[in-house]
Amino acid sequence: MDILNSTWLIKMLSKADATPQGRMLSLFDILDDWLNAPQLNSAMTQQTLLSNNEGKTLLIAYLTEQAIACGAANPAILAEHLVLIARNAAQQSIHHPNCGSLAHGRKAAAALILAQTPIIWSPLSLLNKPRVYGIAASLIIFLGTTILLSQAFIHNHQHQLNIAKITHLQPAKSMTADYKPKTSLTADDAATIYAKYEQMRNGTCQFPEALQIPDKDKAIYLDNVVGGKLPSDVGDLAIAKFYLEKVRCNYTPMLMAHSK
Amino acid sequence: MSPLREKILSTASHLFQTQGINSTGVDTIVAAAGTTKMTLYKYFRSKENLILEVLEEGHKDFQAWLSEKLNSNTSQPSEKLQKLFDFIEEWVTSPNFRGMGFIKASAEFPSEDSPVHQLSSEQSRQFKQYISSLAHEAHIQDADGLALQLSLLFEGAVQAEQMIRGSGAMTYAKKAAKILINGAATH
Repeated sequence: MDILNSTWLIKMLSKADATPQGRMLSLFDILDDWLNAPQLNSAMTQQTLLSNNEGKTLLIAYLTEQAIACGAANPAILAEHLVLIARNAAQQSIHHPNCGSLAHGRKAAAALILAQTPIIWSPLSLLNKPRVYGIAASLIIFLGTTILLSQAFIHNHQHQLNIAKITHLQPAKSMTADYKPKTSLTADDAATIYAKYEQMRNGTCQFPEALQIPDKDKAIYLDNVVGGKLPSDVGDLAIAKFYLEKVRCNYTPMLMAHSK
Repeated sequence: MSPLREKILSTASHLFQTQGINSTGVDTIVAAAGTTKMTLYKYFRSKENLILEVLEEGHKDFQAWLSEKLNSNTSQPSEKLQKLFDFIEEWVTSPNFRGMGFIKASAEFPSEDSPVHQLSSEQSRQFKQYISSLAHEAHIQDADGLALQLSLLFEGAVQAEQMIRGSGAMTYAKKAAKILINGAATH
């Protein structure tokens, strides 16, 4: 069976994720699982993966559809390029099973999708499911804490006044008032903020309490700082960056921290 | 190197790039180089040897060109890593670009037992190693991981460009590379 041009693969991709980006990236997870399946004939596997992209019409057509759905600048090229990365990574995985080439290929593919698409989707979907569950759990804990604090806030007027006095979290007026909305992010902007999200995922982060954030910034704060979703324009980016600076992260590995 | 040997090498290199390696016969090479089969086999014992030499020369030239570009235009290791894809894009979009020798050869000689395939794999590994050394110099923590990601991105873009000239694949690959490099640099 030519795995890269099989209806089975298309079915697996279709049910793998709710987003087109996620479905495209699932190609790498499915291939990884497939190559690690027991009693797989490696010679046969290799043969099917060595053939060039010309015979991969089914997969390329499917990925092109997904690329169109997520607004890629050049869907056909994105689809071709993703198949090439997946095929090369799978070949390397056959020759060097422990090199993690499909996981690295997935990262390269995620960056490529990001480079081709408008910045409107969450980088959470780039991650593997266990990490997403971890982040979701952290978010639930964070929201729970926020709700509890909001209860205390309502019943404690003095506390409310004290919070009102906290001014260091207010973004500079010029930053929030003067920005030009709906100016698209550049690739540099996206790269910088994406790098920051990646970094934060490797630590234990304490976010500023949502109650301390002015109402007009709250949605941006929750979406783009807590939720890890890339801002949609430079105005939101400026606000998100301001609050990202306020996040305190500890990057000491858990085991090391506990051993102290 | 004798001028005639050099002529055969450059002619074969051009024909392999433009017509493909397997579809270029020795007769075509000697006719285009203005020599005889006997002379060709005097310098290169077989067509396979000629292919191997063409690949080696081509890879050496590419590596030398890239190193020269990086060394003369950048000084900081992190800058070299960032500029790498700029120069590769320049090379891929130049009118003379006909593809990457080791990528084409690997596709035309898929059998692992083939010396041409083995050399292609070695050159691909060397290129990945080169990116890794730049990443190490730039103090990237997972230098080997980043090198693997960038080489997959690069080889895919070159293959896409080989299939569809002017595809723009390298431009997107360059943007993606920047995202990956910045992400790796913050860890």
